[in-house]
Amino acid sequence: MARECVAGARILVPVVFGLTLLTLWELAVRLYEVSPVILPAPSAIALAFAANIPTLWVDFVQTILRGALVGYVLGCGIAFLAALAIDRSAFLQKGLLPVGNFIAALPIVGTAPILVMWYGFGPSSKVAVVVAMVFFPMLVNAVQGMKESDAIQRDLMHTYAANYWQTLLKLRLPTAMPFLFNGLKICSTLALIGAIVAEFFGSPTVGMGFRIKIEVGRLAMDMVWAEIAVAALAGSGLYGLMALMERQLTFWHPSHRSVRK
Amino acid sequence: MKHLTLGAAALLASGGMALADGHAAEVNLQLQWVTQSQFAGYYVALENGYYDEEALTVNIIPGGPDIAPPQVLAGGGADVMLNWMPSALAARENGLPVVNIAQPFVRSGLMLTCWADSGITEPADLAGHTVAHWFFGNEYPFLSWMSQLGIGVEGGDDGVTLLQAGFNVDPLLQRQADCMSTMTYNEYWQVIDAGVTPDELVTFRYEDYGVSTLEDGIWALEENLEDPEFVDRLARFVRASMRGWAWAAENPDDAAMIVLDYDETGAQTEEHQLRMMGEVALLVEGGDGRLDEAAYQRTVDTLLAGGSDPVISAAPEGAFTHVVTDAALAE
Repeated sequence: MARECVAGARILVPVVFGLTLLTLWELAVRLYEVSPVILPAPSAIALAFAANIPTLWVDFVQTILRGALVGYVLGCGIAFLAALAIDRSAFLQKGLLPVGNFIAALPIVGTAPILVMWYGFGPSSKVAVVVAMVFFPMLVNAVQGMKESDAIQRDLMHTYAANYWQTLLKLRLPTAMPFLFNGLKICSTLALIGAIVAEFFGSPTVGMGFRIKIEVGRLAMDMVWAEIAVAALAGSGLYGLMALMERQLTFWHPSHRSVRK
Repeated sequence: MKHLTLGAAALLASGGMALADGHAAEVNLQLQWVTQSQFAGYYVALENGYYDEEALTVNIIPGGPDIAPPQVLAGGGADVMLNWMPSALAARENGLPVVNIAQPFVRSGLMLTCWADSGITEPADLAGHTVAHWFFGNEYPFLSWMSQLGIGVEGGDDGVTLLQAGFNVDPLLQRQADCMSTMTYNEYWQVIDAGVTPDELVTFRYEDYGVSTLEDGIWALEENLEDPEFVDRLARFVRASMRGWAWAAENPDDAAMIVLDYDETGAQTEEHQLRMMGEVALLVEGGDGRLDEAAYQRTVDTLLAGGSDPVISAAPEGAFTHVVTDAALAE
């Protein structure tokens, strides 16, 4: 009973908080007569959202499903495999990690136009930008995760005559899970940012970044905010999905003990 | 260094005409793009002291690829802005009451530059080809044009595949597109500078096809125009600016050098600015700052014919005024 109350409050508090913020926003815009080209009211954004659902949907498919998600899966997958390779080879650890670090330091405004030139205006160039953005955070987390098991645990596996793969699957990957999910959660938001921003530098006439750009050009800020709302929902959704999977897969981890059902 | 002392110089020069509070009146001008010869008239008026003679302190604020002048105006960051009419009218329809107070540019410099070997010789040939165009408000003349020609922009064999490109000519040079939007005074020459000869290119000036829209007008907020002092200030600003434009058109080389002096980024080259000034002079030729209502009407008609997603849904009311230019030209 008490536990249910706590769970209910955990949902209710942010909802009330968010609604209060929206109400304040609406009031402030109306009271101070803020120009709609500076900040539209939430009600105006909601109307724009409702009136443009087909447009928002095709933009969502183009940018999130064909750009961000593909790049996310590819980038995180490649980073995970690279982490395995680095884990096996000291040579790669000395060579590949600094290169990964270098790629992470490249500014997106510099790389995006070049990748658009290489891969064209379609989703491929957005995928490439996302891969470049998510690769390093995922790599660092995965490499760190691989080091998480204790020497005594690895010795124990050794005494069981476990080979490399058995040790990897039964001991080291499970202990790396919290780190892997940490990387996946960080990359979920990076992927969305990368896909949207990359569209500013070249795109077909569809996509969230494209829409934001043209609607700013005509000062239809309500539509810009509607796209931002879609991005926020998609980002929260992807992050939430990762958090949920993490809870299912790492229920044994000390950090989850307090909230075990 | 002379920029720093301009304010002081203005105060000295305007000694007899200074306002009651002892300060020259201020006008903050938001440009549509970075410092370049496209705005030579304003820099010349500043450098040659025409603003000082009108007892004005003018701050010229450069723009850039992600700066929307109407937003700067709405936020109070500027008193007047330069803006292309399509984006200004769109802003007006979206709740920012901007009004055109003067129109120094009488002609549009927008054109489509195509590869001759793509087989495009006339606009109807564009169907089935790829066009890279700038958006952010620059796309409306093209959309109207295609709409009038009955060519779709959704791709396919009988439509144009439209790409949204950054403000450069890379897609054309890379051959990712057969045609690209260019300005007569800027990007066309970037293509030429990349080693392409003019006979390898085919150009279509929007001006020649009756779909051009007015560019680089001076706009202010409607509510401010109710203040006679503000209107008077703008009249003096427009008068001095048009003197600047007249001088720049007569002395294009000197004007380009003045612009280079004011370019704080150091990104502009002498050759490019000299050429740009020559082309821009053609766009302001014959204008006195007063908006030509026939050109305004053509712009509005072009925008209303913008196909499935017109930038404005109804003809604007009160989007221009002659009050300022009448006062400016009265003397």
